[in-house]
Amino acid sequence: MTLKIINMAEKLQDGEDRLLESMFQSDEIADDGFSDRTVRRINRQVWVRRLALPVAMVVGAAIAVRPALELLSIGTKVLAPLADKAVVPNTVFAAQLPVLLIGGLAIALVMATFRLFEE
Amino acid sequence: MVSVQADTISPGAKFASETDQYLVALAVSSQDTAAFGELIRRHQSQIRNFLRRLSGDTNAADDLAQDCFLHAWNKLQTYSGRGSFIGWLLKVAYTTFLQSKRKSKRYAEILDEAGHVQDLQNQQYAVQPDEVPDLDRFLAVLTEEERAVMVMSYGCGLSHREISVATDIPVGTVKSIIFRGKEKIRTSFDLKDHKHG
Repeated sequence: MTLKIINMAEKLQDGEDRLLESMFQSDEIADDGFSDRTVRRINRQVWVRRLALPVAMVVGAAIAVRPALELLSIGTKVLAPLADKAVVPNTVFAAQLPVLLIGGLAIALVMATFRLFEE
Repeated sequence: MVSVQADTISPGAKFASETDQYLVALAVSSQDTAAFGELIRRHQSQIRNFLRRLSGDTNAADDLAQDCFLHAWNKLQTYSGRGSFIGWLLKVAYTTFLQSKRKSKRYAEILDEAGHVQDLQNQQYAVQPDEVPDLDRFLAVLTEEERAVMVMSYGCGLSHREISVATDIPVGTVKSIIFRGKEKIRTSFDLKDHKHG
C-alpha cells in the first residue's frame, strides 16, 4: 500500500517534469547488426572458456609428463629400499624442479593468454 | 496451409512472444546465446541511448554497450527476476561506464606522468552554446552522478526505487539528486521559454 502511494506520488508530474521528460526522450537507435556482433562476441567468449581448460591441461601434461615419469621412476627406486634409505636424494628432485616450474609457468601463461584473448 | 520449418524461423521471431524473465531463465539454464541475443535486440536501443547520454560519445558508448552486454551475460545468474530486466541492465551499464571511466582516468594520469597533457574530463561535455544539441547542453551542467540519475529517471522512465537499486544510492538521495539536477538546469537555462527540438 505504502509502495503504491509512493509510486503514485512519483507519477505526479508538473509541467517542468513533462518538459524534461520530452527533452530526455530519444529516438530508437536502429540495431544495424549491433546485436549480432555482440552475440558473436559472446559466442567467442563461450568457446574460449570451453577450450581454455582442456588446452591448458594438454599443454601442461605434455610439458610435465617426462619429468613426472622420471620423478616416478626415481620415487619407486627410492621407495623400494625404503627400509634402508629413508631419505630421498634432494639433488635428484632439485634437478627436476626447473622443468616442473617451467611447466607450471607455461600453464599459467596459456591461461593468461586465453584470458587476454577473451577480453 | 502454410507450414513453417523450425530452423527457418529467425531467432528474433522465435522468441518474440517470450517475456524477458523467460529468456533470462533460458539463457542461464541452457547457456542459450540466441535467447540472450533476443534480450540484446530488445534493449540495445535504451542501453546505447543511456550510455551515449552519459559519455557524450557515440562510438565509445556503443563499445561500452557491447561490454555491458558481455558483463550482463557473465553475471546473468545474479538477476533474481525481481524488478525489471531493463533496470538490472541499466545497473550493469552504469557499472561498466564507471569502470571504463576509472580506467581512462588512470590512463590520463599515466600520460600526465609521462608528460602528456590530456584532459579527458574536459573532452566530454564541454559546454559550447549553440553548437551542441539542447539536451547535451543540459547534461553538461550536471555532474556524472546527476547525469546518470536524471537520464534514468526522465530518459528511461525508471522509478526512484529502481534508480536506487541501479546506482546503489539510497532512494532519498536519488530524490535529492533529481531535485538538485532540476535546480541546476533551471538556473542555467530558462526552462519555461525553452523550445526543444
